[in-house]
Amino acid sequence: MREQSIVVEDVSLSFPKKKSVSQILRRSVTSSFLALDNVSLSVERGEVVGIIGRNGCGKSTLLRIIAGIFSPDQGNCRSAGKISLLAGLGTGFTGHLTGRENAFLYGSILGHEQNVMKKLMEEIISFSELESFIDEPLRTYSAGMKARLGLAVASALNPEILLIDEVLGVGDPVFKEKSKKKILDMVSEAGTVVIVSHSFGLMTSICDRVIHMSDGKIKFVGKPKEAIASYYASEEGRN
Amino acid sequence: MEEQVDTQLTEVGPRNSFLSAPISSLSILFSYRFLIQNLLKRETKGRYNSSFLGYSWTVLEPALLSAVYYFLFIMLADNPDRFYPVWVIIGVIVWTCFGKCLQATVTSLTRNASTIHLVYFPRIIFSYSSIGSIVWTTMMSSLVLIPLLFVYDIQISWQLLLVPLAILLAAFNAIGFGLLLAPANCINRDVEHLIRFIVRAGFFVSPVMWTWDMAVERGWAADVVVWNPMVFPITLARDGFLGHVTEFPLYGVMISVGWGLLLWMIGSAIFSKYEHSAVKYL
Repeated sequence: MREQSIVVEDVSLSFPKKKSVSQILRRSVTSSFLALDNVSLSVERGEVVGIIGRNGCGKSTLLRIIAGIFSPDQGNCRSAGKISLLAGLGTGFTGHLTGRENAFLYGSILGHEQNVMKKLMEEIISFSELESFIDEPLRTYSAGMKARLGLAVASALNPEILLIDEVLGVGDPVFKEKSKKKILDMVSEAGTVVIVSHSFGLMTSICDRVIHMSDGKIKFVGKPKEAIASYYASEEGRN
Repeated sequence: MEEQVDTQLTEVGPRNSFLSAPISSLSILFSYRFLIQNLLKRETKGRYNSSFLGYSWTVLEPALLSAVYYFLFIMLADNPDRFYPVWVIIGVIVWTCFGKCLQATVTSLTRNASTIHLVYFPRIIFSYSSIGSIVWTTMMSSLVLIPLLFVYDIQISWQLLLVPLAILLAAFNAIGFGLLLAPANCINRDVEHLIRFIVRAGFFVSPVMWTWDMAVERGWAADVVVWNPMVFPITLARDGFLGHVTEFPLYGVMISVGWGLLLWMIGSAIFSKYEHSAVKYL
């Protein structure tokens, strides 16, 4: 008996296009862009699923549907357990607050409770290697330091369903290795993982299944190598 | 096909029923209190960041503004009431609170677009946390009234508590209207420009530079302005400063509170119904 963790059923989502006054008057342009076209997907508990495809094919939108950020126009999406989306590390970071205050702010945005954040603070400081900088205002930080702090807070998450949207590779090469290792740890700890990445090597090594998306539709679902082959086949067809 | 268990699956993105929206917004505020606390800190700490006078601006701004209006009024009307400068200060404080709350609520989704795209939590939290920070700074500005009590030789009384109450009421009157328009502002930013105009124009239509008593002296004017929901909070704060509970007519109180309450219920319901479709426009 397999437990399902995420079930996406016939989900369609379109984004409205911004129109200028003259376009509205002429009524000439199509008013929306179909980002997801009848997508269905089911992920079992414990599974690591990757999504590949060109930019704008709907990968990130699908993750955001699962995370509850967008609600589908048609169809529905159900899930079991706490979901976290790892994307845009350091959302809500503010220059005039200290690193510690920003860590609390970002942590609370990601859904941590106060007592959890207090407990995690030591770990966050040591992982981000900020030491005494943690009580300096964030505007004094370098880009790499901000990225480290962002990842340190985000990686303290312990969700049942982890969604990752292209967050690999922040900071200097040494930290990049460290962050990759941390994310892989998170992947192995989380119950269920859906990951969007352009790094095919990584996808092949960690994913049980890979989905190839194109123009808002699922083109192929299957073994990583086969999905990547499907990706290249369709890209060649395009050119 | 394998047997599958999906009893524990829940629909992603909770949606409230239309009628319970105002009440459930309160329970959301409670369950996300840690987040709200951090957002509040960001907004209040950021407002006077990197300025030498810092928080003193909350007091200085209304004080300086009233000095200008006082000068203007002497030029125009001559012979003003000796309390006139205080009336203007209180008017400015309470009205500004309303105006800022309204603008902050209307723009609550558009200002936080980047956060909205990356994580889901009920977006009504953005509105309430900016309102919280505005109410807090307004309370700070109202401290300017304390030295004025001594200048005018007024006894300190419990009625002074009517001043913070009036500030809260002003903020409350802004919430509903703001929540009602916030989703529309995602679709079209004309809304926030219109609101900015309304806040500017409302400054003159509300008793900031004039008082309820002045309207009563003109007879018919009182019958008209009583429908403005901001007349009551401003009058309440002024009477509280003098140490008496207001003599504002009861039906006027009901208009003001009723306006706020009705719009809060409608606004919360509209917000929770349309927030999901509105964020697609961000």
